[in-house]
Amino acid sequence: MGARDPNQSRRDFLKSSALAGGGLIVSFALPGTTRLAQAAGNDVKMSAYLRIAPNNDITVVCGLSEMGQGVHTAIPMLVAEELDADWMRVRVEQAGVDKAFANPIFGMQATGGSTSVRGHWEPMRKAGAQARAMLIAAAAEIWKVDPSECSTEKGMVLHKSGKKASYGQLAAKAAKQVPPKDVKLKDPSQFTLLGKSGTKRLDTAAKSTGKAKYGLDIYLPGMLTAVIAHAPVLGGKAVSVDDSKAKAVPGVRQVVTIPAGVAVLADGYWAAKMGRDALEIKWDDGPNAALSSEGISKMLSDGAKAGGAVGRNEGDAKAAAPAKTLEAEYEAPFLSHSCMEPLNCTAWVRNGEVEIWAGTQSQGPAQGILAQVGGVAPGKVKVNTMYLGGGFGRRFAPDPVIGATILSKMTGKPVKLVYSREDDTRGYFYRPASVTRMKGGLDAGGKAVLFTANVASPSIMEGSHFMKLPPDGVDEFGVEGIRDCPYDIPNLRIEYSRQEPGGVQVWFWRSVGHSQNSFFLESFIDEMAHEAGKDPFEFRRALLSKQPRYKGALELAAEKAEWGKPLPAGVHRGIAVVFSFGSWCAEVAEVSVAADGTPTVHRVVAAVDCGMTVNPDIVKRQIESAIVYGLTAALYGKITFKDGQVQQSNFHDYRMLRMNQMPKVEVHIVPSKEAPGGIGEPGTPPIAPAVANAIFAATGKRIRKLPILA
Amino acid sequence: MNPPPGVDARIINTPEGALQSILNGAPMRKGRVHLELPAIAENGHSVGMTVKVDSPMSEADHVRRIELIADKNPVPRVATFVLGPLNGRAEVESRLRLNGTQRVTAIAQLSDGSFWFDAVDVTVNELACLDGG
Repeated sequence: MGARDPNQSRRDFLKSSALAGGGLIVSFALPGTTRLAQAAGNDVKMSAYLRIAPNNDITVVCGLSEMGQGVHTAIPMLVAEELDADWMRVRVEQAGVDKAFANPIFGMQATGGSTSVRGHWEPMRKAGAQARAMLIAAAAEIWKVDPSECSTEKGMVLHKSGKKASYGQLAAKAAKQVPPKDVKLKDPSQFTLLGKSGTKRLDTAAKSTGKAKYGLDIYLPGMLTAVIAHAPVLGGKAVSVDDSKAKAVPGVRQVVTIPAGVAVLADGYWAAKMGRDALEIKWDDGPNAALSSEGISKMLSDGAKAGGAVGRNEGDAKAAAPAKTLEAEYEAPFLSHSCMEPLNCTAWVRNGEVEIWAGTQSQGPAQGILAQVGGVAPGKVKVNTMYLGGGFGRRFAPDPVIGATILSKMTGKPVKLVYSREDDTRGYFYRPASVTRMKGGLDAGGKAVLFTANVASPSIMEGSHFMKLPPDGVDEFGVEGIRDCPYDIPNLRIEYSRQEPGGVQVWFWRSVGHSQNSFFLESFIDEMAHEAGKDPFEFRRALLSKQPRYKGALELAAEKAEWGKPLPAGVHRGIAVVFSFGSWCAEVAEVSVAADGTPTVHRVVAAVDCGMTVNPDIVKRQIESAIVYGLTAALYGKITFKDGQVQQSNFHDYRMLRMNQMPKVEVHIVPSKEAPGGIGEPGTPPIAPAVANAIFAATGKRIRKLPILA
Repeated sequence: MNPPPGVDARIINTPEGALQSILNGAPMRKGRVHLELPAIAENGHSVGMTVKVDSPMSEADHVRRIELIADKNPVPRVATFVLGPLNGRAEVESRLRLNGTQRVTAIAQLSDGSFWFDAVDVTVNELACLDGG
């Protein structure tokens, strides 16, 4: 076996090359389970995405990160469908960083934005179809028959004469075939796997038995475990460090100051943590020491009052003279992602190479960043993507991989950097807070004729350090979910006012701008319906006559929730519908409110139009998960600041929804022949407004500020 | 979980240091805490352990935290469980690694700040432990 030519372009979809020996691309194989790939062995490489073993095992190589969303099942299903593979023989392997695995929507190898199925729907099916054509061509050559007389079924090529051969038998010969340029993909009516219920996830067994490896599971010989004492105020610096007591803690090996803070490196986590607790550090809090939530709220509120860059302008909002107007200011707080697996990364800088093991959503960009950090060429950075114990956008950020790489470079040893739960909660990278002022107008008949919204929030685009505000000055994440207001209202104006309180790193949080803007819009539309004296479902429906897919999702949710049919005494409904990430999702929440104001969400009925589905069971789980995540934030989520410091630290003061609070969730999928939409995020935005609207129905009290249980 | 001021990091990994880091000079009383451990553990790598504390776990009266000290472990302060009224009951279960025959102490701090404890002597079959590799 030989090394791969690094200059060889692997952009071409199929560049067939049979492996001379084993082990060429085994380095990312995840150990020890039946459905996860073991080793390349004598596998024949059909393309960057697919290997076939002589024993008929099919290995699909997946460049996307598995964070529970099911991509390690969805991508193999796309390949297997067009390959006519025997699903029981299909395994999955995590890819390293390679151009072949660039996300077609991002143009870089990364997982996020609910793009995985949308971006790979065609390319991965094509990979399967091309391999299938090559297998058929090989069989036809052996049998000396015309390929058109051959068919495929469950991992076998069949000839009309009754001859048959398995993919494993044919693979070596097939890999030598010229990959066909154009392959015909199946018509959706021919699908046997895609869109059908019942295909089990490939990672369930490994995750159930503890064999699946997450970033935190990495242990290397001679490895040090590091924790960092971060500045309590973002932008603060350590002016003096007394580490004598820390170094006296048995197991502590080194204490070093790096840009992120003061790091304690030890034989294990506990020693590192005890060492950090024993550090005596004087901090200079820097320019953000006065940051407070009250100050931030006021700044955002003033921004919303003043208005800003115009993001959308239809009709004449200023000249419109509605019979009735209403106006309200809404607010959403900063939120933490709170992944269940604390952030971590293991790095080893040695011999001019950087190698990391991390549950990351952004291995492509990480390669470039770590090349700079490590002072090596990007090709010398190897990223081992581990399973992610939750991502939600937080694992798109490079802070743990940078920290671990710096520490390994400084110490010359493998270093596992671990964030404690407190480090994670206080680690900045928050969903931005936002204040939005809205104005609605109704004509004499109660029809909506005016809607304006002034959004004020920090800019994620600028904060990300890899994007810039567009020339119009409107942050697309700041206004998504409200600028795209779908309701048929003749006079409509959306403005964005960028407000930067400083001292906060804003970041992408599951569903990004929709997470707050859909709450604003869908709550305010409810206010307009109430003002018009109309049913909130019918009011929306009438304004969506030109939006069939919005209307379809809304109507399906209402129908399945039996909208309008009386509920038990004290239980009330709220509804919301949101388009995000290529999919339409409507949710109806059934809520009762106790005398002390505490809401109980009994049931949520969701309807989602995400086009064609790959695995409808996983689609349903994703919507359920989005509802837990969104409901947690709606009820409790709040990061606040005092004297520049984050006031929350762990799950006792940054609460999660508990098992006994989980509503019954029903998910209905709109049957569709349209191209797939995203599914990781679209279930999150509608839940906050659906619950808030139900609370209004129950109490007459409008929730204009999140969280509900402030 | 930070060691209170005055605790010397150099003795943190002794049973006395561990105790000091938890109590910071406060007294503790026997009772209310029930530590369940086997009298003889065949394998020190994984010893089943349950701590229960008599407490209504209400807002006004609950267990704030449960600490475990294993005298002969390299790091004697082996675990801290943080609890609150939302737990509903004051009971934690886990598995301990025990470095030989020793005394294990469970200390509960209640919401009024008082400390209560229970202690159990465990005989660990070290041969079984060494045989693990």
